[in-house]
Amino acid sequence: MSIEGMDLIRSATYIGAGIAMGLGAIGPGVGQGLVGAKACEAIGRNPSEAALLTRTMLVGQAVSESTGIYSLVVAMLLLFVV
Amino acid sequence: MDEIGGIYQMIVSVGDTTFHLNLTSIGMTWIVIALLLLFGYMATRQSHIMPHSLQLVGELVVGQFYSLTESALGKEKAKTYGPLVVALFMFLLFSNWIGAIPHMQEPTTDLNTPLSLGLMGFVLAHYAGIKAKGFKGYIKTYFEPIAFMMPMNLIGEAAKVISISFRLFGNMMGGSIIILVVSYLIYSLILPPFLYAFFSLFIGTIQAFVFTMLTIVYIAVQVD
Repeated sequence: MSIEGMDLIRSATYIGAGIAMGLGAIGPGVGQGLVGAKACEAIGRNPSEAALLTRTMLVGQAVSESTGIYSLVVAMLLLFVV
Repeated sequence: MDEIGGIYQMIVSVGDTTFHLNLTSIGMTWIVIALLLLFGYMATRQSHIMPHSLQLVGELVVGQFYSLTESALGKEKAKTYGPLVVALFMFLLFSNWIGAIPHMQEPTTDLNTPLSLGLMGFVLAHYAGIKAKGFKGYIKTYFEPIAFMMPMNLIGEAAKVISISFRLFGNMMGGSIIILVVSYLIYSLILPPFLYAFFSLFIGTIQAFVFTMLTIVYIAVQVD
């Protein structure tokens, strides 16, 4: 028995969504970790600026997260639209 | 699990063209606007030199975002763009927080809302750029390092709208999908309130702030 037609397309979209999400999550993970590490270093050096540093860190992480969000959108398009 | 992809649409056809109206997001947007108006009314009612609690919250938000706008655009332009920035932040904040109430859906989980807000910021930034530098100076910025870079600059300007709106949409939509899936897996025991608190309240606040900050930055880039 072979997989044909619509089933083949469905299985390909599921595999594609999984690959898109898995590979796309690597970059933001590394980036957010780096931002967090640098923010910890900076707070350790200058604890009185902790509030400003935390705010800047959160904004930077949210911006560097965007490539992961694009892969999430692509995965959602593959799952619900195709 | 069918409720993720399903959008309630009202299809209106006028002549040959058909309009698709997303009734849920329209209704939710109106609810958010009503809540904002209510908040504004309550915060400014009986305003006093000794502020009551709501007035204090309102003054805090307005003051913070005015000072952020001033640090990016300077004192003169902050008077023009400050009210818009504060209104944008409050609208996004209420839109993201309303998802924490049961049976309410964030307007931002529909791509149309973030995309229209991103386009608004885009048009505003370019209007500010033309006003600040004149039309010739505005056109000149596209040929900035060398004339050869013009297509890159055009694509970069278009990518700003895509990135700013898809970031907000993806965060809120991804959050609501994760809430649905995890609630389904654990039969809605114990965990869902904390998930709502994290994704709606925490992530929603950060994303509203990031969207507002990026709109200010885009305006500042065009003005300088």
